[in-house]
Amino acid sequence: MLAFFGRSVIQKIVTLFFVSVVSFLIIHLAPGEPSQIDPLNPKFTPEMVERMRKEFNLDKPLHIQYLLFYRNLFNGRIVSWRDNLPVLGKIWERFLNSLPLFIVGTLLTWTISFPVGIRSAIQRDGIYDKSTTFLSYLLISIPGFFFAYILIIFVVTKLHVPVIGMETFGVTASSPLVRIMDRTWHLVLPSILGATGGVAVLSRYVRGQMLEIIGQDYVRTARAKGLSSETVYYKHALRNALLPFVTMFGLILPGLIGGSVIIESIFSWPGMGRMAYEAILGRDYPVILTINFLTAVLVLAGTLVSDLLYMVVDPRIKI
Amino acid sequence: MNPEPHSDLLLSVKNLKVHFQGVGPVAKAVNGVDFKVRRRQTVCIVGESGCGKTVTALAILGLLKQPPAVIAGGEIFFDGLSLFDLPASQMRNLRGKRIAMVFQEPMTSLNPVFTIGDQVGEAVLVHEEVSDDQARRRTIQLLYDVGIVEPEKRLNDYPHQLSGGQRQRVMIAMALACEPDLIIADEPTTALDVTVQAQILRLLKRLKQDKEMAIQYITHDLGVVAAIADHVYVMYAGVVVEQGSADAIFSKARHPYTMALLDSLPTKEKRGQRLYSIPGSVPHPAYRPLGCPFHPRCRYCEPSCEKAFPDFFDYGKGHEARCPVLYKSGVGEKDR
Repeated sequence: MLAFFGRSVIQKIVTLFFVSVVSFLIIHLAPGEPSQIDPLNPKFTPEMVERMRKEFNLDKPLHIQYLLFYRNLFNGRIVSWRDNLPVLGKIWERFLNSLPLFIVGTLLTWTISFPVGIRSAIQRDGIYDKSTTFLSYLLISIPGFFFAYILIIFVVTKLHVPVIGMETFGVTASSPLVRIMDRTWHLVLPSILGATGGVAVLSRYVRGQMLEIIGQDYVRTARAKGLSSETVYYKHALRNALLPFVTMFGLILPGLIGGSVIIESIFSWPGMGRMAYEAILGRDYPVILTINFLTAVLVLAGTLVSDLLYMVVDPRIKI
Repeated sequence: MNPEPHSDLLLSVKNLKVHFQGVGPVAKAVNGVDFKVRRRQTVCIVGESGCGKTVTALAILGLLKQPPAVIAGGEIFFDGLSLFDLPASQMRNLRGKRIAMVFQEPMTSLNPVFTIGDQVGEAVLVHEEVSDDQARRRTIQLLYDVGIVEPEKRLNDYPHQLSGGQRQRVMIAMALACEPDLIIADEPTTALDVTVQAQILRLLKRLKQDKEMAIQYITHDLGVVAAIADHVYVMYAGVVVEQGSADAIFSKARHPYTMALLDSLPTKEKRGQRLYSIPGSVPHPAYRPLGCPFHPRCRYCEPSCEKAFPDFFDYGKGHEARCPVLYKSGVGEKDR
């Protein structure tokens, strides 16, 4: 057990090293340097470009740049090239903004998908199953940004609910209760939108998994014992159907840092996804690479968590 | 109504028809099957794969998936109760408590994520008002009865930690949990190797004696039939073609299909010879021939066989076969 843990951590560190090299190379291979971001600007003289290149160590060989970057990252001294603020501080601030969106969205996704998927599977080909199937494919097919605008129009014109940003401008002056309500309202639409796509896809997976398990011999055995259909489905079948989702549960960790670019952009939500997007446009290498590195760490941590969880829930897997 | 209440008749299946409606023509998997199981009797249902044996068993327990399966006709009486008329809740109480089933595949019939103690204990707990501790002790006793060594320790094992034979023993323990009147064993030894098969058969025989149960044993293996059967039903293409005591079937078979099955058995006398096999294969349930379903493969086939499927001809002592050709001509065992 401990040996497995140690071995897997070492493996993951090696993987992380390769990820860091590859992502560093990809960023540097991409056309456009931060120093050339605005070549048509008349104030941008060749001397300034030269000075910037020197300042950002862009004139040094790639492997030196690599070492300098990761040294700064691990010392926590890494700063953004746009505003000279510490990158980790920036990320933390944006992370806290994205967190409520992520938590509410994920909770909605998982709490809705499972009951819907399970019920569809049990009542296969019934009205409930057919309508959820139709709805799922509808939601999968509608582009997220399009659906978002339809919802915004509806919600703003009919319900008069504020939707843009994290809070209404100037609400800071109001009482705490008003602020909390305002924030909650702002949170509703983006999280629902974030969850719809997830629900549509995940409920399909749950249904498929559940259907496969219901056809298994041991489910028939459970029925032959005279168990009620609730016990058959929710104890014998569900426990087996859930196994693959334990793996998925570990893999939602990276979502913590990824955020959602589209939803955050539409709703002007100052979150992680938007920051990453803006950093890419601005060739802000330190921010891009730090987010990249942290995401890689979370992906690897997620797989480790999945492995450990799998061991807990599936008695056949022992290390 | 059950024609023989309070008799030793435990199960009677009458003219059972189970069809499968999918895409394309209706598959008549079971097409008018009659049989009886008496108390403390071991009844074997014999036939090739696809002749409707398992579907019949699942129909008795109400475990058929409907749809695609449709009960197209017939009745099943169990101890005076008409099973098709029972409400679902009563049917559930019957399952596991009075009729239990042992399935063919011990490898996949146990739930992989629960311990065997849980799964056997559950069968006790669902039908009887006992404490968890009592159920645990019953489970240990049951595992001991079916020959699991050191049951207290094996209780917490998961199915994957057991061998195939042990798993089938656990399945049998589960079936025995509430001391049912009838155990339906659907090819319980097919997936096991021969020595383990012999052990399981001995176990079933012993348990049947001890617990005074009836066993409906489904198999395609005539060797197994010879070892345990009191009464035998031979099924072909969804119908019973011959029935009789085990002695009658083995020594005086009166249906060409039964005779052909017996001929395909390897015996000491036939050592070194090429083994007989019945020409052709079992017709698909959706495309069965008119008349006697066996006629395309039958060596005694006459033109009349292609037109009508005859009823049973009585040979006395409960021995009946559905072949008019052999009945009239008197062709029997010694002429084969």
